[in-house]
Amino acid sequence: MRGAENARNFSQCDSLLLGDKCGAHTFPYIETDNSSAIVEHEATTSKIGEDQIFYCNQRGIATEDAIGLIVNGYAKEVLNKLPMEFAVEAQKLLQITLEGSVG
Amino acid sequence: MLKIKDLRVEIEDQEIIKGLNLEVKAGEVHAIMGPNGSGKSTLAAVLAGRDMFRVTGGKVLYNGEDLLEKSPEQRAKEGLFLGFQYPIEIPGVSMVNFLKTAVNELRKHRGQKPLSASDFLKMMREKKELVEIHSSLTNRSVNEGFSGGEKKKNEIFQMAMLEPRLAILDETDSGLDIDALRIVANGVNQLKSKETASIVITHYQRLLDYIIPDFVHVLYDGRLVKSGGKDLALLLEEKGYEWIKEEAES
Repeated sequence: MRGAENARNFSQCDSLLLGDKCGAHTFPYIETDNSSAIVEHEATTSKIGEDQIFYCNQRGIATEDAIGLIVNGYAKEVLNKLPMEFAVEAQKLLQITLEGSVG
Repeated sequence: MLKIKDLRVEIEDQEIIKGLNLEVKAGEVHAIMGPNGSGKSTLAAVLAGRDMFRVTGGKVLYNGEDLLEKSPEQRAKEGLFLGFQYPIEIPGVSMVNFLKTAVNELRKHRGQKPLSASDFLKMMREKKELVEIHSSLTNRSVNEGFSGGEKKKNEIFQMAMLEPRLAILDETDSGLDIDALRIVANGVNQLKSKETASIVITHYQRLLDYIIPDFVHVLYDGRLVKSGGKDLALLLEEKGYEWIKEEAES
């Protein structure tokens, strides 16, 4: 907005890769109408490590459950900020999309 | 409990374990010592089911059944625990959540009902006291941002929670100060019973001042080249591994 003096923004894109046949593409787009604005963008990409899965396996947790645990942990910070009804929904969605994601 | 017969293991076509024999009976504590690169950690990883290693020969029986055919989680559920040399960090997953999942998987396997939240927290409190762990540790994510000593203590805490039949500790003592060392040893001693056994892999005799092993084995170049009692560990501390190497090679 033009009238917003010293506006501040920070956007963050974190991607978690599952399996070896996927990639992440992020296209951040920020528009400002006021030159006093400070805008920031940060992106990270990480992967579930085989050693993380093995660590869970060694504690008796099957691979599929381990991935669910790790992905939910990863997304928790954001999910926790959502209103309750969305958070529950999002968690269920995560569970569904993860089903069968490992051979 | 555990019978290893002529085990051979390789990684990337390089043979690491070259015909290893070991028998561990219930109630026993075995220490495995040996110079760097002799195959100690490989042995621990193969027993736990890490699939990056290829077993090319031999057999491993665990409670009379073929261990190598079972998945890592199956082995864990049947009471095999590996204390990691380098415990893995899992960001965002709380210790409470992680252990609750693990404990309840174990209970499911034994045909028991999952623990209620309050019973689980009570169990955590009791076990934390046993291993003298600070409460803040369990509120954090699995191993994330833990110091080296905290990670090792956390392994012992998990061991206490999971009450394994066979615990394999892979250099759990390395990098520990004397207090943490005592706590780790204490955890192992607490677990000791007539029905359980431990294999303690270590570089230093120091740990064996606190954990009294029934047997000490020296692993060198993929084989157990010498076995003895606690005195063997003292001899190794005094004389190093060179004489073992000479003896093994002659």
